[in-house]
Amino acid sequence: MKFFTDREICYADILPPSEVRARIEVAVLNFLKILTCADPAISDLLLINRKSSNRRVSRGLLTDDDTWIFLSRSFCKRTLMRANAAKAFIRVWKVMEMCFKILLQEKRVTQRELFYKLLCVSPDCFSSQLQVNRTIQDVVSLLRCSRFSLGIMASSRGIVAGRLLEPDKEMVDCSECGSSGYAISGDLNLLDRLVMKTDARYIIIVEKHAIFQRLAEDRVFNHIPVILITARGYPDIATRFLLHRMSRTFPELPIMALVDWNPAGLAILCTFKFGSIGMGLEAYRYACNVKWLGLRGDDLQLIPEESLVSLKPRDLQIAKSLMSSETLQEKHREELALMVQSGKRAEIEALYFHGYDYLGKYIAKKIVQANYI
Amino acid sequence: MGCCKPCLTGTILKHPWTASVTIEDELQLCRISAVLKSLSPSILQISISDTGIGSCLEEFQDLNCSSIIAVEFWVGLNLGIVTDCTSLRVVVLYLQNLIFFVCKGIYCSFNYELKLSASNILFLKFLYYSVEQVNIAIELVTEREDIPGSRCENVFLANRSNPGPLSTSNVECLKSGLEDYVLKHGNSLTQKCNTCFATSERLKVGSGIACSTENHKSSGLVLEVVVIISELESKCPCYRECSFKTEVLYFKDFTPCSIPHPTLNVLSTIDWQSYGLTLENVVDQGVCVLEWGDSPSHSQIDMVLHCYHKQYPMHKTQLEQHLIKKAVTAALNNLKETHPGILRSAHALKICSHAPDLARSIAGLILSSNDPDFQGECFSLLGLHSREIGANVVEDCIQEKIVSVIEMNDRKSRQRNVVAPSLFEDDCDQDSNYQDKEYEEGEDEFSYLD
Repeated sequence: MKFFTDREICYADILPPSEVRARIEVAVLNFLKILTCADPAISDLLLINRKSSNRRVSRGLLTDDDTWIFLSRSFCKRTLMRANAAKAFIRVWKVMEMCFKILLQEKRVTQRELFYKLLCVSPDCFSSQLQVNRTIQDVVSLLRCSRFSLGIMASSRGIVAGRLLEPDKEMVDCSECGSSGYAISGDLNLLDRLVMKTDARYIIIVEKHAIFQRLAEDRVFNHIPVILITARGYPDIATRFLLHRMSRTFPELPIMALVDWNPAGLAILCTFKFGSIGMGLEAYRYACNVKWLGLRGDDLQLIPEESLVSLKPRDLQIAKSLMSSETLQEKHREELALMVQSGKRAEIEALYFHGYDYLGKYIAKKIVQANYI
Repeated sequence: MGCCKPCLTGTILKHPWTASVTIEDELQLCRISAVLKSLSPSILQISISDTGIGSCLEEFQDLNCSSIIAVEFWVGLNLGIVTDCTSLRVVVLYLQNLIFFVCKGIYCSFNYELKLSASNILFLKFLYYSVEQVNIAIELVTEREDIPGSRCENVFLANRSNPGPLSTSNVECLKSGLEDYVLKHGNSLTQKCNTCFATSERLKVGSGIACSTENHKSSGLVLEVVVIISELESKCPCYRECSFKTEVLYFKDFTPCSIPHPTLNVLSTIDWQSYGLTLENVVDQGVCVLEWGDSPSHSQIDMVLHCYHKQYPMHKTQLEQHLIKKAVTAALNNLKETHPGILRSAHALKICSHAPDLARSIAGLILSSNDPDFQGECFSLLGLHSREIGANVVEDCIQEKIVSVIEMNDRKSRQRNVVAPSLFEDDCDQDSNYQDKEYEEGEDEFSYLD
């Protein structure tokens, strides 16, 4: 039985290189057929819209926890026939050509490497990394295959530490990695093949690198059985991928997030939890049930008044966008409303007021009390 | 032989000149001739004579105009010679709105003062309608008085089944006249300039016609436009800054005159941009000059407008403004269609600049593939046969096809939005969510490294 949402969902397939090349070849053939037919034309490229207007929500039937966002069948167009938009059209073909050649060579490149290559070959077409990244998403959207399938690896910013063993030919013990932790590879195939073992009872996502380092250095995982994971800011696909794999491999482990008390922190939590629009064709696969451990409204009593700082305009923008999202849970919505009403935000570092080892205690206490939403 | 091309089509004469038309039936019973001579740049002498055998005035009293078959020629005047089918006996002259009857057997001659435009151009054209029952011979002679040996004679026969080579349309005559004018650098030379026009391919000609309907109130107005684009040689002594200016020649009812102001105004409202031209200024100093902001170097644009009534005599003069835009754009479109690559709109030029990049990408995709079936199918779609093809050939072939599609779309009406098919057709057929929007950058709150 197919659920209603399944019919509407648009997704990017994870495909082997040969199939991706086949799709590109079909694209070329279609283009040439339309170019050389009796009523010739230069075909447009229809791309799935990666905008909030095209965001849909899938809710779990039984619990609210299985919610994720996906993109539906709303399209935008790249065309050569409008002078102002013609360059964007050309860029899609350029990236397709580059990916085609990369896949033939059975290589993988990072987005950065791709940018420099394109800059050398077609300097008139590309001017920034951001432009290249967006064009890559255009190709994902056009061919409906994942970025990784195109041969592009996004370098991951993620690190993992704690009670996780990767018993492969080289045993990796994430508790022995020191404060720097174990870097998460950008190679999704590699991540997929990882063998994992744990005796942890919880997984904690940490928003910021500095906090992660503090916790890893203090070996908080020796006091509480946790796996620590961070994307050092906004979650990249590889980190989300690994988290998702962990949640599947160790389904009994609750996943909690330790983020700053501000809209951006909540947004990061939501990205892990529901997925994102920017890579909406792929990200929905890696949505996890993430709970909010801290920093929360009822923790504000623990921190001094002076550590509360005003919300910036950017914060308010993010808050507004989150508020309008139908996926936001009631209790999270209340927290967000409190932030906006008070006009204040607070960072986790504010807890150091009680001493550098306070953080570990704070986490432990909250976990024991099951004080997460 | 000689510089005045007689009017199988048209020519533009300069004082001093003479032209004569003689029409004779095969039995040589009737013969009428009209001689026109320029006495000065603005005075024209017209002499009509009839030397047929015997007739009298009474014969014309019951003349039924509907049985009259006309043989006409225009010399910048509404000069008509109308004869009846059997006897070639009557000459009807109409100059503008006046009608003169000249009866057979009477010789008359009169001078007629013409107000000519400063450029001294006369447009001579001979138009012939078929004759019902009689075979007739027509002799047409033109001559430039100041140039010895310039006489040009033409004799031909005509009847109903063979109307002769003269049944060319007015617009063909206009084309021929302007071609002649351009080849002689605006009549400043007496013959075609060989520096610039060694081959006639240097001329690109387009024409357009717009008509208004005939009804009992109006005799129907026709506006014809001919535009010629020519490439000039810089070493020609006539080469000047002419490429940035176009002198618009204007004829009203076969008479050269200065452009009426309303017509000038309409010219400035034409969408020249869609032909890649920028009109900077319209100058009206007796002669209308269009000044261009930019133009392809060495290219000269010449234009003639001819507005005339379909029927004579005219009951009412009409205004042609509503026809101008239609006729001029028809002429420019005609040029574009017959000579691909010229008059590309700014929009098309901009898009065409991307064509090499696109062609290179597609060619790169084809040539780097390791699937010979795929490559074979691509080559066959492109009409390339050998496998041993270099990258340049493939690229050029694709680029040529892309450019031709762009040009084709450029020629289509601007009102109709060109809708191109999309690359993967199954995407949106049942889709009610399909939105034809351009992708706007940066709407997401997070435009991260993702």
